[in-house]
Amino acid sequence: MDSHGVALELTKVSKQFDGRPALSDASLKVNWGEVHALLGENGAGKSTLMNVACGLYSPDQGTMAVSGVPVSISKPADAINHGIGMVHQHFKLVDRFSVSENILLACSETLGVSSVNDVAKVITEKSEHMGLEIDPYAVVGEISIAERQRVEILKMLLTGARILILDEPTAVLTDLESENVLTLIRRMAATDCAVILITHKLREVLQYSDRVTVMRTGRTILSQAQTSEMTREKLAKAMVGESAEQITSQSREMGADRYVIWDIKVRSPSGGVGVDGVSLHVRAGEIYGIAGVGGNGQPQLADALMGLMPIEEGHVFIDGKEISHLGVKALRDRGLRFIPSDRFGSGLIPDFKAYENYGITRILNNVYGSWIRVNRKRMKEDVNATIETYQILGCAAATKSRLLSGGNAQKLLLARELDSELSVLIAHSPTRGLDIYACNTVHGLIVKAANRGAACILISDDLEEILTLSNSVSVMSRGKISEKRPTRETTREKIGELMLGHA
Amino acid sequence: MLNRVYLVSRQQIPVWLRIATFCLGIVTGLIGCTLILMIFGVPFREIVNEYVVFIFLDKSGFILTLTAFVPLALVGLAAAAAIKLNFWNIGIEGQMWMGTIAATWVATYDVGPENLRLLIMFFAAALAGSLWIGISAGLKLRYGVNEIITTLLLTYVAFLLVQNLLFGVWRDPSSGFPASPMYTPEIERLALVGWGRLHSGIWIAIAAGVIWWWIMSISRFGYLIDAVGANPLAAKAAGLPVIATVVVAAILSGGLAGVAGLVIVAGQEYRLTINIAEGFTFSAIVIAFVARFNPIGVLFAALMIAGIYTAGETLKVFYRLPNATVVLLESVILLSLLIVEFFSRYNIGIRKAEATP
Repeated sequence: MDSHGVALELTKVSKQFDGRPALSDASLKVNWGEVHALLGENGAGKSTLMNVACGLYSPDQGTMAVSGVPVSISKPADAINHGIGMVHQHFKLVDRFSVSENILLACSETLGVSSVNDVAKVITEKSEHMGLEIDPYAVVGEISIAERQRVEILKMLLTGARILILDEPTAVLTDLESENVLTLIRRMAATDCAVILITHKLREVLQYSDRVTVMRTGRTILSQAQTSEMTREKLAKAMVGESAEQITSQSREMGADRYVIWDIKVRSPSGGVGVDGVSLHVRAGEIYGIAGVGGNGQPQLADALMGLMPIEEGHVFIDGKEISHLGVKALRDRGLRFIPSDRFGSGLIPDFKAYENYGITRILNNVYGSWIRVNRKRMKEDVNATIETYQILGCAAATKSRLLSGGNAQKLLLARELDSELSVLIAHSPTRGLDIYACNTVHGLIVKAANRGAACILISDDLEEILTLSNSVSVMSRGKISEKRPTRETTREKIGELMLGHA
Repeated sequence: MLNRVYLVSRQQIPVWLRIATFCLGIVTGLIGCTLILMIFGVPFREIVNEYVVFIFLDKSGFILTLTAFVPLALVGLAAAAAIKLNFWNIGIEGQMWMGTIAATWVATYDVGPENLRLLIMFFAAALAGSLWIGISAGLKLRYGVNEIITTLLLTYVAFLLVQNLLFGVWRDPSSGFPASPMYTPEIERLALVGWGRLHSGIWIAIAAGVIWWWIMSISRFGYLIDAVGANPLAAKAAGLPVIATVVVAAILSGGLAGVAGLVIVAGQEYRLTINIAEGFTFSAIVIAFVARFNPIGVLFAALMIAGIYTAGETLKVFYRLPNATVVLLESVILLSLLIVEFFSRYNIGIRKAEATP
C-alpha cells in the first residue's frame, strides 16, 4: 500500500439526532503513516463523526472511502473488515473477564484461535513487539485505567485494524501515563498505520500530531492543516470561534477561616480508596482547589461534605460550630450549597420540571406553601425570573429538566444553589462535559459566590480549571491531601508531580 | 431485513399520544379477552351480554360490580402508594389478613363502647395492616432486606395465623366451618346504602381515592413522594427526608390494605372466613399500573377490574370456566397496555435499503 496515500476520507457527512444536527457537512481526510488530530470543544461533533466511521451511527448524508475506494459501512463489523478500529472513551471491556478472555471475545475470528492460552501467547508476542506492558491473565476489573486502555489498543490492533481512532485517550490518565500513550500513538503511525487522535487539548495536538482538523458545532472549520504551521493561538481561535472571555479569579478580600475540616475519614462503600484523614481550612471568599487523578477518594470526600455519606471519624466546623454529624437538610440550613459531579444523578431530578427542581431545596422551609398545599405558582414565578437572570436557554418553567442541554441544566442547578444566602460552596467537577461557554458561565458563578464571602471548595480533575479559579490548591492522592499552597506560588509541573506521587 | 428496523426513544411524549396508546391498549386487551373467552366456548353474544350489559347496565349486576369495586379500589391505592416509591409491596394480601384479624378481634371480644365499635374496628384494621408492612419497611431500612421477599413471605405468616384462629379459638361453634362467629348486626357491620347489598364501604373507597389525590397533587407530602420516587439520591442531596417519606408511604399502603380487609369482613361477609383476601395482591398491582399510579385513575381501573370479577363469577358458574380465568383476563389487559405503551415511548423507523457499491 502507498504509505503516503489517503487512508480514510469522509466527505460531507451530516447526521441529526431527534431533529437536532450533530454533524453538518463534516469532512475528514487522513493519510497513511500520520497522526491526525481531530480537535474541538466538547459537543463539536468529533466523536459523532468517528462513530460514523466505525459503523456505530449511520449518517443521514455523506460518503466514505478507505484507501480511495468508496465503502459503505453500516455496522461495526463492516468497519473492522475495512481495517478501521476505535478505542472509545468508555472502554468496552467485560470487567469480570481476564485480559485474554476479553481479547478472545473480540478477536477469536480474526485470530483464528479459540483457547485462552493461545490468545495469551498472541497477546504476549504482540505486546512485546509494540512495547506494551500487559499481563494476559489479569482480570480487567482489577487493573488500572491506563492498563485497560492498553488492552483496548491491543484489541484494536489484533482485529487487524490499520486505521486507528482514539477518542480522548488522555482524558482519564495522569500526565506521565498520557505521555506514554501518546508516544505509543506516534510509534503506531510509524508502522504505516493511520492514527486519528480525538482531543480537545491543544498541547497534545501541537506536540504529537502531523496534521490537524478542527471541528466546531458539527462543522469542519479547519481541515488537514500541517501541525508545524500551527500555533496555540491559531488553533484556539479555530476551535472556539470569536474569542471567549476568560474568567480569572481576581484577588479579593478574604476573611477568617470559615470552613474547617479536621482529620476526617470516610469509608468507600465499594472497598476502594476512601478518605483517609483529610484536614483543611477555607477562608471566607477563598476558592480552595483540590486537584487529583479521579478515583483517589474525591467522590467520597465530596459526598461526605455534602452529607450524603457518613463521616466515620474527625470533625467539620463552619464558623467555629461543629457540623460533622448533621444531615443534608441541616447543612443546607447553615448555608452549605452543593454542586455534585453527576448533575442528573444527585443534582437534578431528570423527570421533574424546571420549577420543581428549582423549588426542591427550599420546599421544607415553607418558602413554597405549607404541608397542606404546595405553592407551585410561586415556584414558577421564581424560576421564570431565574431563567431570565441566568439566561438558561430552551427552558420554560414547565420544561422537563432532562430535556435541557448539559450547560443549561448546570445553570439551573447553580441558580438553585446560589440564589439564596450561602456560607460554603462545595463543587465537584462542576464543568464536566460542558462546552467552553457553559464552562465560563459556571466559573463566573463560582467566582461570584466567592466574592459574596462564601468559602468554596472546588474538587476537580481538570487542572486548568483549578489553576484558573482557585486561590490555593492541594492535591488529593490515595485518600489524603497534600499541603495547601497558594496557587500563585505553584506550577502545573509541581502539581503534576504531586498527582503522580502514588504512581 | 429486520436489521433495517430501528427504534428511537422519544424525548417527549405528547399528551394525545399517551391517551391514544392507553385507549388502544385497553381495546386490544378487551379484544384479547374476548378471543380467550370464545376459545373457552363462550359465544360472542354471551360475552357482550355478561361484560357490558350485566356488569354495568343491569341493576343487580352493577351492584355486584360496585361491591367488588370497594376493596379493589383500596388495594389499588395501597399498591400505587408504595410502588410509586419503588417499595414493592407484594404483601397486600397479608396486610389485608391482618386487618381482618384485628377487626374480627374487636368484634369478637366487644372492645369499646357499641356506638364507637365500627370506628375502633376501622382503626384496628388500618393499624394492623400498617404494623405488618412496618416489619418489612423496618427490615429494609435497617438491614437492607429486600421488601419483595419479606412482604411476600409475611403474607403466608398472616394467612397461617388466620387458619390457626379459624380452625381453633375463633371457629364458630354453631356451624363448625372454619369461620368466625357472625358480627353483631348494626354495631359491627357497615350500613347498607339502600341499594341492594351495596354497603357504605363505597364511601370509604371513594374518600380514600380523593384524599390520596389531594396528597399526591396538592400537598407537600405528594411532592416529596414524587421526588423520592423519581430520584432518591437527588432528593437526599436536596435535603429531603428520603427514609421518612418511604416509611410513611409504606405505612399508609399497609393501612389501606388493612382497611380493604375490613370492608370485606364488615361489609360483605360479616365474619372472618378463609378465602377473603385471595388474589388481591395481583389485582392491586394490575390496577395501580393500569391507572399509572394516578389516584383517580385507580378508582376507574378498580371499577374495570371489578367488572371482570363480576362477569368472571357468573361465567364460572354457567360455563364451568376455571378459577384462573379472571386472573388471565386481568393479565391480558395489563400486558396489552404495557406492550402498546412501548410504542408511545419509541419511534420506529425503517432504514432505506443501501445500494451496494
